[in-house]
Amino acid sequence: MIRRILFNLMAWGIVLAVAFPLFWMLVTSVKPQFELFRRPPTMLPETVTFEHYWRLISQTNFLTYFRNSVVLSLSTTFVVVGIATLGAYSLVRFRYRGRESLAFLVLFTYLLPSVVLIIPLYLMLVSLGLSNTIFSLVIAYTTFALPYALWLLRSFMAGIPEDLESAALVDGASRLGAFKDVILPQLLPGIISTALFTFILSWNEYLYALVLVNSDSARPLTTGVMNMLISSFNIEWSLLMAASVMMSVPLIIVFAFLQSYLTRGFGAGGVKG
Amino acid sequence: MADVLFSNVRKAFGSFVAVDDLNLSIEQGEFVSLLGPSGCGKTTTLRMLAGLEFPTSGEIRIGDRVVNDVEPGKRDIAMVFQSYALYPHMTVGKNIAYPLKKRGVPRAEREQMVAKAAEMLQLTPLLDRKPRQLSGGQQQRVALGRALVRDPKVFLLDEPLSNLDAKLRGYMRAELVELHARLGRTMVYVTHDQLEAMTMSDRIAIMLDGKLQQFAPPQEVYRAPANRFVAGFIGTPSMNLMDGALRQEGGVWVFEAPGLSLTVDALSDAAQAGPAALGARPEHVTLGAGPLRGVVQVVEQTGHENIVTVRLTDEIRLIGRLPGTQHLRMGETIAVGIDAQACHIFGPGASGTRLNLDELAMSERRAQAAR
Amino acid sequence: MPLPTQTALERQYSLLGLMLIAPTVMVFCAVIVYPLISAIYLSLFQIYTPTLQGSWVGLDNYKVLLAKGEFWTSLKNNLIWTVGTLTLQIVFGVLMALVLHQNIWFRSLARSLILFPYFISTVVAVLVWRWLFNDLYGIMNHLMMMAGLIDFPIDYLGSMPNAMISVILVGAWKYFPFVVIAVLARLQTIPDALYEAARIDGAGPIARFFDVTLPQLRDVLVVIIMLRAIWDFKEFDLIFLLTGGGPVIATQTLPLLVYKEAFALNQMGMAAAYAVVMMAIMLVFMIVYIRRTRDKDA
Repeated sequence: MIRRILFNLMAWGIVLAVAFPLFWMLVTSVKPQFELFRRPPTMLPETVTFEHYWRLISQTNFLTYFRNSVVLSLSTTFVVVGIATLGAYSLVRFRYRGRESLAFLVLFTYLLPSVVLIIPLYLMLVSLGLSNTIFSLVIAYTTFALPYALWLLRSFMAGIPEDLESAALVDGASRLGAFKDVILPQLLPGIISTALFTFILSWNEYLYALVLVNSDSARPLTTGVMNMLISSFNIEWSLLMAASVMMSVPLIIVFAFLQSYLTRGFGAGGVKG
Repeated sequence: MADVLFSNVRKAFGSFVAVDDLNLSIEQGEFVSLLGPSGCGKTTTLRMLAGLEFPTSGEIRIGDRVVNDVEPGKRDIAMVFQSYALYPHMTVGKNIAYPLKKRGVPRAEREQMVAKAAEMLQLTPLLDRKPRQLSGGQQQRVALGRALVRDPKVFLLDEPLSNLDAKLRGYMRAELVELHARLGRTMVYVTHDQLEAMTMSDRIAIMLDGKLQQFAPPQEVYRAPANRFVAGFIGTPSMNLMDGALRQEGGVWVFEAPGLSLTVDALSDAAQAGPAALGARPEHVTLGAGPLRGVVQVVEQTGHENIVTVRLTDEIRLIGRLPGTQHLRMGETIAVGIDAQACHIFGPGASGTRLNLDELAMSERRAQAAR
Repeated sequence: MPLPTQTALERQYSLLGLMLIAPTVMVFCAVIVYPLISAIYLSLFQIYTPTLQGSWVGLDNYKVLLAKGEFWTSLKNNLIWTVGTLTLQIVFGVLMALVLHQNIWFRSLARSLILFPYFISTVVAVLVWRWLFNDLYGIMNHLMMMAGLIDFPIDYLGSMPNAMISVILVGAWKYFPFVVIAVLARLQTIPDALYEAARIDGAGPIARFFDVTLPQLRDVLVVIIMLRAIWDFKEFDLIFLLTGGGPVIATQTLPLLVYKEAFALNQMGMAAAYAVVMMAIMLVFMIVYIRRTRDKDA
């Protein structure tokens, strides 16, 4: 019994240590400015204030960045998941020449580093006159999100028994009819999982946003918030921590309600072993 | 008229030939089983008939229509899958109604037909459940219901009973036979279980390595197996098979194996002197009388009868049957006989052809001899 | 393209399959295949970024980069970073998975907390850690001094070897949850009977780990290591945001070098050459991983 308690205490000790930076982020964001520079630092804020959040919303571009990020991530997710669902269905359930090489290409690009593509992509988007737009980022994000989504969905698709589709065909459905009536409902958890991953991936992306966008009107949160750190004369850590917390809000929502979909996505992402 | 016709059908997956030059003609209203060990091509054959696999060459007809290029849904067939393939997100009622819906049957009529099928299969109280809330036997019945609700020309069944427990399987066998009699539709039934094939079929098509071995009614398959493979595959306990040689001696054929010599009459003209095999069903082995001696090795009691394995020589073991009331001790030495009249002689090789004359030819020959 | 021996129906299905994959193929060609090929092509030019004027230099870029010390330093940094952070991720990840596999209090909450760092934006992670590492008011220095590990505040990101160690540690913190989840999923599929059998044979907890758990984890670990090695090798955001490659170029890895060359030094052609070389190095890992995955599929 005592061993059990000790083990639990040790386990939770480690867990809390890992989670400490996030706890510290939350604490810092609600401390008044003067308390920040107290030595020794206070573990829990003596006064809780939301002034930093208020300032973030009213006096900075944060809301613009947030809106850009939402638009950007949602568009990327819709485009990518839409294309990838059809693609995965084709890759798993149809036979044609070149299918194997295509699957190989998907896996290859899934592992490809962004920095290899970024130079030609930059040149391409500049010459198309698309730089500094959210649309250019949607295009750029497709380069990593589409292979990723295809890879996940391919694995989810392969998990749906082929007999179900066969049964629907015999029952009088066309291939697309069977896809709509039988496969899509079965694939739904996989699609949700993939959509979440794609969304998070786009939400968190930094490099493309850094290179392709340098106007505040199109800048997403990642580069926007980072800019607040670099451009301010003296760094306001409370403000930055408040921004960090706000930036993690969609994630916290996903964690609270949809975590099982995230864990499922892990299994499909090629780490099945 | 042939309801289902395979003409020279061949199916290859890359270099692997799954079905090789298959010719099969199934009559209207017939119950035909495709029987064979796993990998023999029976399921591929069924799936080609369903339109789920595509023949590499050859022609498949259903009724008077060549269906090679007809979509599965337009072939007027229904299929029951081994896994049942019930749509998990639909209720039992929706599952059964799906094929009707896809054919544009109006809702009111649809509900009527579903209710009728459900009643026939005692599914009425389950119509609002999801498949995962059902037992294996119930799921099986739903799969059947989905197949028979729209009265297709041909029913295809792919090992539908293999996921049920033994008792339920026996019950469902009887149900299916009754259903077939009631509907009068052609049924093609894939199985690896010879008991199912023997008890239910009008004719059995036995396959091995993609090739059709024999296509005949159960009794004929049992009494006159086309070759050594069929002989060994059909019947429990299986036929005693002994390798030996054929020799002609003064106009009659003699089969010889170490420690055994047997005069066999009425072989066809294909018979040649040389290596051959002798086959004798357990019921044609007499225990306790006969010219041979053997040691009782194993006695398996089934209650109704005893299955006895007797060792004649180191190479030759015979299995015979005794009524359950008669008993033998292990290690006992007994007299053994083989009914030469009822023996089968097969040509050399694992699937050597049967060399006995068929019954018609035999009676002709007897009549000649009598004259 | 449909296969030659197909029936009409099969051909019709193949065409449908091709239509369904067509959007994927078009997008792939436009945003991946074409850029990939032009990256290789661009590496044969000298291009000044602001004007995008280029002149053909053939393989000169490659000759220059292989002769440059900066390339080799960056490659070395890249390897140190990858090996360092990967090792920590694996060791800590497996241990954490073993702990979380036990029946501890509020297990699902503990799991969420562990998982969180993996999903937060690198920007958030970096901001938080830079605040923790702050030389004057950072809690890190405070805690270390309280524990008596250091006597006066240290500079975590601005001096060596501290900067490299910090980057590796933050990388491990951010990415070890991936290992935890993957290993945990595998642990749950090890049949209890194996442990029962080992216990009956008299194996203690440590022997059970080495004789039962580890062999069962072997396959999944190989996959995780390869995947993480590839991802860690190409990591840009975390290092760029934490140290920017500094002090000087002490933590500059190849992805940072590519970025610097292209967008700070305005040498696009040269940057493309670096990127191509980097990809060639990664190709080794990628091919091993792909081979393995395909063998599994088949």
